[in-house]
Amino acid sequence: MSLWITIVASGVVTYLTRALPLAITTPGSAPGPLRRYLDALPIAIIAALAGAGIAVPDAQPTAGAEVLAAAMALVVAAWRRNLLFAVVAGVVTVAALRLAGL
Amino acid sequence: MTPRRAAIAEGWPIFVTAVVVGIAFGLTARQAGLSIVEASATSLIVFAGAAQFVMVDLLRTATPAPLIVLAVLLLNARHLLMATAIRPVVAAASPIGRLGLAYLLTDETFAMAIGWFRRGHRDLSYYTVFGTLLWCFWNAGTLLGAAFGAGVEDPQRWGIDFAITAVFVAIVAIGVRHRSDVAVALTAALVAAALRLVGASAVAVVVAGALAPLVAFAIREQHR
Repeated sequence: MSLWITIVASGVVTYLTRALPLAITTPGSAPGPLRRYLDALPIAIIAALAGAGIAVPDAQPTAGAEVLAAAMALVVAAWRRNLLFAVVAGVVTVAALRLAGL
Repeated sequence: MTPRRAAIAEGWPIFVTAVVVGIAFGLTARQAGLSIVEASATSLIVFAGAAQFVMVDLLRTATPAPLIVLAVLLLNARHLLMATAIRPVVAAASPIGRLGLAYLLTDETFAMAIGWFRRGHRDLSYYTVFGTLLWCFWNAGTLLGAAFGAGVEDPQRWGIDFAITAVFVAIVAIGVRHRSDVAVALTAALVAAALRLVGASAVAVVVAGALAPLVAFAIREQHR
């Protein structure tokens, strides 16, 4: 029973983190500085997700593979402007480096 | 390309990842003592990959329920930022529609939708189609892993676990437009990486994501 309470309560708090900013409506538009902050927010969050995914603390024995693969994905994305190519390049690089034991 | 087709054509590497990691979750949950129904219910109700792995790990070590829920809240606090960031585009949806879109909001759906919006689109169908498919694949993977997970290979071996990180990197690389975008992105990535390496994984993304936009103000001041 306690397990179900844990699952449902975890679901509720997770849903609240997703829904509260969307459910609350504010009158008028945001003031200038806040709008600039909000403009920069999406890239900041995605870059933070990337940074957290690249820095793997317990990456034994692959320390370094993620950093090189991320650099490869970055280069391919900037060059081809294509999401799919960049993802395939990143995955192939990390798999090859891990196979090589890096 | 229609939004629906684009969501599938660009999303498939992430859907593959969702199935593979979903299988790993189903298996891990069973090993932690959850039944097939409980493992599937976790994916249906919580629908948040990283938090679910933390949950079953804490359940396995008999952590009290309030502490588990607190850990989930801390880890998912980053959704508050993401939901705030997509408010302008989601504002077009009805109140009920917004509550549905909120349920589908994950790191992956957020990043892919921002990638779509940054190409000048304003429709929500890319978000809806991608988010719904991701939900389906995640739950199918969980059920498969919980029911017959014993023979799954380690996803790390083929680099599948890295696909989502590569997506985040690529969306940033394609999405940056100004010099201040580059500074914000570098700051966010470095702060998040540093926090993760010192053991603050749970709050790395929310702290780095909330602080890095402030860099944009410093950059723009210099131009004056």
